[in-house]
Amino acid sequence: MRVVLESLGALVLGLVIGALIMAVWGRDPWASYRALFEGAWGNTRALASSVSRSLPLVLTGLTFAIGVRAGLFNIGAQGQMIIGAIVGLSSALLALPAGFKLPVAMVLSALAGVLWALPVALLKLLRGVSEVISTIMLNWVAHWLALYLVVRKLSDPVRGERTFQVPVGMRFPLIQGELTWALVVSLLAALFLYWLLWYHAKGYEIRAAGLNPKAATTAGISVRRSILLAILLGGACAAWAGAIQVLGRFPYAITSDLAILGSLGFDGIAVALIGRNHPLGVLAGAFFFGTLATGAARMGLRGIPIDMIQIIQGVIVVSMAIPEAFRLLRVKKTSVPTKGKS
Amino acid sequence: MAENLIEARKITKVYPDGTQALFEVDFAVQAGEVHGLLGENGAGKSTLTKILSGLLSPTSGTILWKGKKVRFGSPREALKAGIGMVHQHFALVGPYTGLENIALGAEGVRILGPVRTRWIGKKVENIMDRSGLRVPLDVPVEDLPVGVQQRLEILKVLVREVELLILDEPTAVLTPQEVDELFSVLRSLASLGKSVVLITHKLREVLEVTDRVTVLRHGKLVTVRPTRETSLEELASSMVGREMPRMRGRTNRSGGKEVLRVENLVVPGVGGKPAVRGVSFSVHEGEILGVAGVQGNGQTELVEAMVGLRPWTGKVELNGKSLAGLGPAQVAALGLAHIPEDRQGMGLILPFSVAENAVLGKLRPFTDRVGGLRWRKIFRSTADLIQRFSVQTSGPRAQARSLSGGNQQRLVVGRELSKAPELLIANQPTRGLDIAATHYIRETLLKLRDEGLALLLISADLDEIFELSDRVAVMYNGTFTGISPVEKLDRERVGLLMGGLTFEEARG
Amino acid sequence: MNILIDVLPVALRAMVPITLAAVGEIFTERAGVVNIGLEGIMTLSAFIAGVGSWATRDPWLGVLAGLATGAVLGLVHGFISVCLRGNQVVSGVGINLLGMGAVGFGAWALWGAKSPMLDHSFWVPGISLWGVNFSPFVIMTPVVVAFTWLVLHKTALGLRVRAVGEAPVAADVVGIHVNRLRLWATVYGGALGGLAGAFLSLDWLHTISPTLPAGRGFIALANVVFSKLNPFLALVGGFLFGYFDALAIHLASVAGFGGALPYQFIRTIPYLVTLVVVALAIGRARFPAALGQPYRRE
Repeated sequence: MRVVLESLGALVLGLVIGALIMAVWGRDPWASYRALFEGAWGNTRALASSVSRSLPLVLTGLTFAIGVRAGLFNIGAQGQMIIGAIVGLSSALLALPAGFKLPVAMVLSALAGVLWALPVALLKLLRGVSEVISTIMLNWVAHWLALYLVVRKLSDPVRGERTFQVPVGMRFPLIQGELTWALVVSLLAALFLYWLLWYHAKGYEIRAAGLNPKAATTAGISVRRSILLAILLGGACAAWAGAIQVLGRFPYAITSDLAILGSLGFDGIAVALIGRNHPLGVLAGAFFFGTLATGAARMGLRGIPIDMIQIIQGVIVVSMAIPEAFRLLRVKKTSVPTKGKS
Repeated sequence: MAENLIEARKITKVYPDGTQALFEVDFAVQAGEVHGLLGENGAGKSTLTKILSGLLSPTSGTILWKGKKVRFGSPREALKAGIGMVHQHFALVGPYTGLENIALGAEGVRILGPVRTRWIGKKVENIMDRSGLRVPLDVPVEDLPVGVQQRLEILKVLVREVELLILDEPTAVLTPQEVDELFSVLRSLASLGKSVVLITHKLREVLEVTDRVTVLRHGKLVTVRPTRETSLEELASSMVGREMPRMRGRTNRSGGKEVLRVENLVVPGVGGKPAVRGVSFSVHEGEILGVAGVQGNGQTELVEAMVGLRPWTGKVELNGKSLAGLGPAQVAALGLAHIPEDRQGMGLILPFSVAENAVLGKLRPFTDRVGGLRWRKIFRSTADLIQRFSVQTSGPRAQARSLSGGNQQRLVVGRELSKAPELLIANQPTRGLDIAATHYIRETLLKLRDEGLALLLISADLDEIFELSDRVAVMYNGTFTGISPVEKLDRERVGLLMGGLTFEEARG
Repeated sequence: MNILIDVLPVALRAMVPITLAAVGEIFTERAGVVNIGLEGIMTLSAFIAGVGSWATRDPWLGVLAGLATGAVLGLVHGFISVCLRGNQVVSGVGINLLGMGAVGFGAWALWGAKSPMLDHSFWVPGISLWGVNFSPFVIMTPVVVAFTWLVLHKTALGLRVRAVGEAPVAADVVGIHVNRLRLWATVYGGALGGLAGAFLSLDWLHTISPTLPAGRGFIALANVVFSKLNPFLALVGGFLFGYFDALAIHLASVAGFGGALPYQFIRTIPYLVTLVVVALAIGRARFPAALGQPYRRE
C-alpha cells in the first residue's frame, strides 16, 4: 500500500509542478489539464489512442524494471528500441510468405535487441564497466546507425522524409481507432515477465540477486547469470517497443529524423519507476504516460508544448529518488520500536 | 590514594530495544595509571567506554572528570575535554599519509590555505620522541601494517593533547611483537602522567601491563583490584563466573560414522595474511563439535571456506567426497546446510516474504519441469515450517523484515533443516536473540544431534559451547588450540585457551 | 593527414565541456557523491545561459546564469542524495530527464522553436592572442583544472573533502561536518557542469536544444573514470575525447569524405572510443571508498 501512495505522491508532485510552470508562464493550468484528460479519455477514439501510445512504453518500462529487479540501472532501452525498430522494418525486405512476415519480424527484432544489449552485459561482467555509461554510449551509436540506415538505405524513393512503409500484410491489424493488436505483444510481455519474476525459478533468482547478492550467493544462486539474463531480456523487450511502433502505428515507417521513435526508451524509466518496477505496475504507469502523450496533443492546441510532459516525467523521477523522505515522515510517527516477541 | 582523573558513578545503560547493558557500574581511573577493563563478549566493556568517550549517553548515573560533573554530547566534546578513544575499527583515511591523517581536522588557520604540515610535523615529532611511539609519517596508511596503523591512531589522539586514552581491544589485531611494543608505549605514556584504559578479554595482558583492573560480567561490576594482588586464575573465574553451566554433552559417544573431515585447512584473509592457518578436525554422526573463541580469530573465514564462499587450500571431505573447488550450490547439494552468522545479511532476503525465504537455496523440489514455481507446494511447506518451528508471523506472505530476530532465526534454522542435511554448520546461532528464542534454538540443535545429525557449532558464547558440545575446540588466531571432550574441560580452562594460552599451559 | 591537424582548433573547443564537467564531477565524487545528471545539467544550463545572454544582451551575464543554473541543480541533487539520503542514480537520471524537458518546453515557450539558433550577438567574444582568436573558455579550462587540483590536493579544504569521500567516519570523529562538505562539493560540481553548458550554447554550437550535449555529459563521466579522479589527467582525457568528438564533426562536414565513410558512421566514433577507453581504463581507476554511500552517524 505504501508503495502505491509513494507513486501517487510523486505523480501528483509532477502534475503540481507542471501546473506551477504553466501558471508562471501565464497559462491556466486547470483548463490545460482538463483539456489533457478530455483529449486522452474523452471518447472511445481518444481512449484507444491513449492505450495505443502506452504500448511501447510498457515494453521499455519492462526493460528498466527487470534491470532494477536484478540490481541494475539499465538505461539502454532507447538504443535497443531504435535497433528493434530498424530490424522490424527491414524484415519487410525478406521474401517470406505473407502470413510469416509479422512473426518473423518480431523474432528478428527481439534477437537484434538481445545482441545490442549483449555488450552491456559483457562489459559489466568481464570489465566492471557501469551499465549507465555503456548503455548511453550504445544508445548514441544506435541513434547514428539508424539515421544512416533510414536516410541512405531504407528511405522511400518518393517521400524523402521517411522510410518505405511496412507492407499492409505485415502490419498489426487495427482494433479500434489507432489501437492495433500490438496490444497483445505488450500485454503478453508484461504478463510473461510477471510470471517469470514471481512464478518461475529464474525470476526468483533475479529478484534474490538484486535484493541481496550476498544472501543469494550464499544460497547458491549465480548473481552473474541473473544479471546477464535481466540485461538480455530487457534488450528483447525494448526492441519490441521499437518494432511495434513501426509495425503497429501510422505511418508504418520511420521518419528520417527518428521523431516517430522519440524518447520512448528514456520514457520507460519514468514508467517503470512509477510502476515500482513491477510488470503490472508498469502497465499502469505506461497507461498514465500514454494518457499524457495523447492529451498533450490537445494541450498543444491550447499552446502548451508537449515537452511539458517531459518536465512532469523528470519531476516524478527525481521525487522517486527519495523514498527515504517518505519513510522519514513515517518513522516519526512510530519512533518507538516494538519489543521483539519470539 | 591518588586522585581520580575520571570517575563514573552508578552508570546504568538500557538500550532503546530494552537490552540492559550496564547496571549501576562504578568505574574510576587514576592519573598516570594503566587500567585494565576485563570481561567476556557482551559484558558491557564497550558500552561503558562509549559512555566515557561521549558516543553514548548513560540512562542514569554521573560522570566526574577531574572532580567536576560532566556530560559529553559527542566524541568531539569528550576529545576537547581530554578523553580520546581508539576504536577496534580504526578511523583512518586509507590513502592519506600518517601526517595527513593526524592533520585532518586540525590543518591550519584558513580553510583555503595550505595544510600546516611543518608545524604539525614538529608537534608530532616531539610527541614521538617523548612517548617512544614511532610511526613513518610520509607513507599512505593503507600500506602500513595494522600495528603501525594503531600507533598512528594513538598519535592522532595524543596530538590533540588528551589526558585519558581509551583503547578498545587493541591487541586483537596485533602480532605478539607488536603487542610488546604497544605495551611499552602504554607504560611510557603512563610515566608521562597520562592515564590509559585498556579494554581486553586477554588475562595475560592485564597482568603484564596494567596497574589496576576492573572486571565486568553481564553488565555488572564484579571486582576492582590492584593487578599485582591478583592472579590469572582469580581473574579468569571472576570474568566467566563460577557457576557451572548445564552440560549436556553426551558421554557415551560410541563412534558414530565420520561425516566431515578437515585436514590442514588454510584460508587467506584480507591482505593475503592467512585467516585460518592449518586447521584439522572431524565431525561424526550424532555429535556436536563446538568451536569456542573470541570473534575475529578466523571463525568466519573457516565457515565461509567450507560452504564454498571463499577459496581455501588443504583437504575438506564430506562423507568421503572432496569439497575442493565447489561453489555454495554444489556444497549444499552434497548435504551441507549452513546457518550463517549474519542472518539478515546472508541468511535471509529481508524484503522477500517468509515463504520465499523458506525455499531460499532449495528451490529444486518446488519447481515443475519448465522451472515454474509450485506456489501451492511452497506455501504448504512454509506453513508446515512455521508450525514446526513455531515461527511467530502473520503468515507465509509476511515480509521477513517484519519478523523479530528470534523468529527470523527460527525461519533460517527451519529452512536449513528441511534440506535434510548430512552436516549442519551453525555459526553463532543465538547471537542477539532473546532468552526464549535462544532456548528454542539450542533445544532444536540438541534434538538433531540425538537424531544422529553431525553438527559443527561456532559460538563466542561459552555457555552455549558448554551446554551443547560433545567435543570442544578453541580457536585462537587462526588455529585450534586443542580439541577435547567437553567433560574434560571447565570454563576457566576454556577461558584461558580463548585468551591465547596453549592447551598445556591451560592444563596448568 | 592534414585533416588530423586541421581538427586541432575544434578539438581544443571540444575539450572544454568534457573537461569542465569531468573536473566538477571529480570534485563531487572525491567527496563521495555520484552525480550522473551532468547531461541534464549541461542541457538546462546551456539554455538558461542563452536566455540570460538574450535578456541582458551581455553574453558574460549569460555565462554566469548558466553557472548558477548548474549550481542550483547540483544543490538539488546534493540535497536529495546527501540530506535525504535518496538514491543518487535515480536522482541523476531524473535531472537528465528534467533538463531535456525543461529546455524543450522553455525554448518553445520563448522562441517558438525547439532548437533555435543563437545569432552573433549572443556569443561570447573571442580573445585575440598573438594574432590568433581564442575562445576564452579554452583558456579558462586549464585554469579551472589547476585551481581544482590545487584546492583538492594542496589546501586544508581539499584534505577534508577527500577524507569525507574516503572515510566519513574518520572525518566525523575529528569534528568535520561530513554532509555539509558533501553538499557543497556537489554544488561545485554542478556549477562546473553549468559552465560547460554555457560554453556549448554561447561559445561553440550557438544553438539550444534538448539534446545539445549529445551525450557529452556521459562522456565526461567516462572521462572521470579515465582520469582516475585526477583533474590534470581529466584535461588530457578531455582533449583525447574532445579530439575524437572534433574529428567526427570535422570529417562529417568535409565534403566528399562522406563517400568513403558515411557521415553518420563517423559520428559514432566518440561514443565507441569512450566505450573502449572506459573498458580498458576501469581496472586502474580507484574510487573513493565511500562513493555513493550516504553517511549517517551510528
